Amino acid sequence: MIAFLRSILFLSVALPLAFHPSHRLYRPTSDRPIADILICRNAHISFYSPAPIEDIKAETDQAVSALNTANGSLYFKVMIRSFTFRRSLMQEHFNEDFMESDRYPYAEFKGNVLQMPDLSKDGNYPVQVQGTLTIHGVSKNYTVPATLTVKNKQVSGHAVFLVKLADHHIQIPRLLMKDIAEQVQVTVDATYSVDNNAQTDKGA
Amino acid sequence: MRGYFAWVGIIILCCCPYAGRAQQDLSQLFADSTAAHLPVLATFKGTTLVNLQTSKTLHAHDLLFIVGHRFGDFAGSNGGGKTFFGMDAISDVLIGFEYGISNRLTAGIGRDKGAPNGVSEFQTQLFYLTGKYQLLNQTADGHTPFTLALFARGIFIAAQRQAIPASNIDFQQFGDRWSASLQFLLARKFSESFSAELVPTYLYRALTTPQDPHQLFALGAGFRLKINKRMALIADYVQPFRNAASSNYYKQQFNQHFYPPIGIGWEVETGGHVFHIEFTNATSILENQFIPNTTTSWTKGQFRWGFNLTRTFTLSKGAAAEWKQ
Repeated sequence: MIAFLRSILFLSVALPLAFHPSHRLYRPTSDRPIADILICRNAHISFYSPAPIEDIKAETDQAVSALNTANGSLYFKVMIRSFTFRRSLMQEHFNEDFMESDRYPYAEFKGNVLQMPDLSKDGNYPVQVQGTLTIHGVSKNYTVPATLTVKNKQVSGHAVFLVKLADHHIQIPRLLMKDIAEQVQVTVDATYSVDNNAQTDKGA
Repeated sequence: MRGYFAWVGIIILCCCPYAGRAQQDLSQLFADSTAAHLPVLATFKGTTLVNLQTSKTLHAHDLLFIVGHRFGDFAGSNGGGKTFFGMDAISDVLIGFEYGISNRLTAGIGRDKGAPNGVSEFQTQLFYLTGKYQLLNQTADGHTPFTLALFARGIFIAAQRQAIPASNIDFQQFGDRWSASLQFLLARKFSESFSAELVPTYLYRALTTPQDPHQLFALGAGFRLKINKRMALIADYVQPFRNAASSNYYKQQFNQHFYPPIGIGWEVETGGHVFHIEFTNATSILENQFIPNTTTSWTKGQFRWGFNLTRTFTLSKGAAAEWKQ
């Protein structure tokens, strides 16, 4: 009896392990295709803040993003050091003083497209995106409007939203206060393609 | 039965992670995209500490305007209340510009009053050209553990020739008016708030007084310690390697002692400006004078107020046109 129980228990451990989606040997064929996951390795992110002396603007095209078209889950990640400013001195201050990018090298968004539209047809789809944005090591929930665009089967996304510096504990030294607004407008653009690398073992 | 519970425990442990993985984590797609060797930011904020240069080069197409100042002795026989602690007596003034040709190469030009003292009485009206090239840049991941820059300054002494024998103002030819210094700036940012550097120095002066060497080696060291985001403590020290025969000559003939220049200062950085309020026993600002010929001593009250202020102007316009609103 104990031997039987043990064998049942062994199988109940071994089988889920063997057939877990992350297992190299387990390749579902009937499951949703991997093509559900679209990625972008050169997403463009810029931010803008009007200021009395000089507007503050920076941009990067080195952000990465992934979109699961089946369930709407969405991911963005950007290295803070990749933002470029017109004034390199401002860029140095941005990294060293405001963002502390040695300590918090990335900003990250993990969330979902609410009510994911069917992207099989060309068109513009206004959507709401909800999720957690982590900047400067501080996470906050956002729900922002965005647009998904399908053109010639290529999916791209666009969103504009406001980030309050205080929400992410970004402190501006008093000597610079007059230069910098308390919130910045962030613009995100990503053009997605099917992730060819994901075919190997990235899971479904 | 005990074995049975153990198995149940193992199963629960094994199954738990699966619940989380059912929702795929898209962040795993980019787990392999790690950053390249990023250079560390702002090992030093200014291009100088108190007396020494730092390893900092300007950003490309930035223009730096520099004003440096050394007052008279704070205390001692030449200082105190009668000179308002040295404020009435200006020992050296420097005005200069530096320009970032690239992120690694900075060129400079400037004019310095020159601060003659006990052993070098006449060399004033100095004009200089500088070049600083960054050979290595410390990276955040430790791939390059330090920053190495090479700094060169050529100094032209414009003071009118005086026919004083055995002096350093009796220029016989044009070439006698030149001095030069060459320094390696080996710096490391040890932590977010502490950076230090070592500065091996070679100095050449075409015309010196007898027994004052034309060539001199020196070793400098300095650090910057951040107090907060805007302010830092800076300090430096230079040990010149003058031979004993020369030191003894000045001691016996003129009762002059040489002291290593020591500086300590307070650095304030605002966007674009770097201010230094500093104290040093060196009377002069340029290497050809303060390294070999500092005869003023901290212990005799012969230290002085000094300040150094710089303003950065961004001249690059190209990038601005590419902005998308």
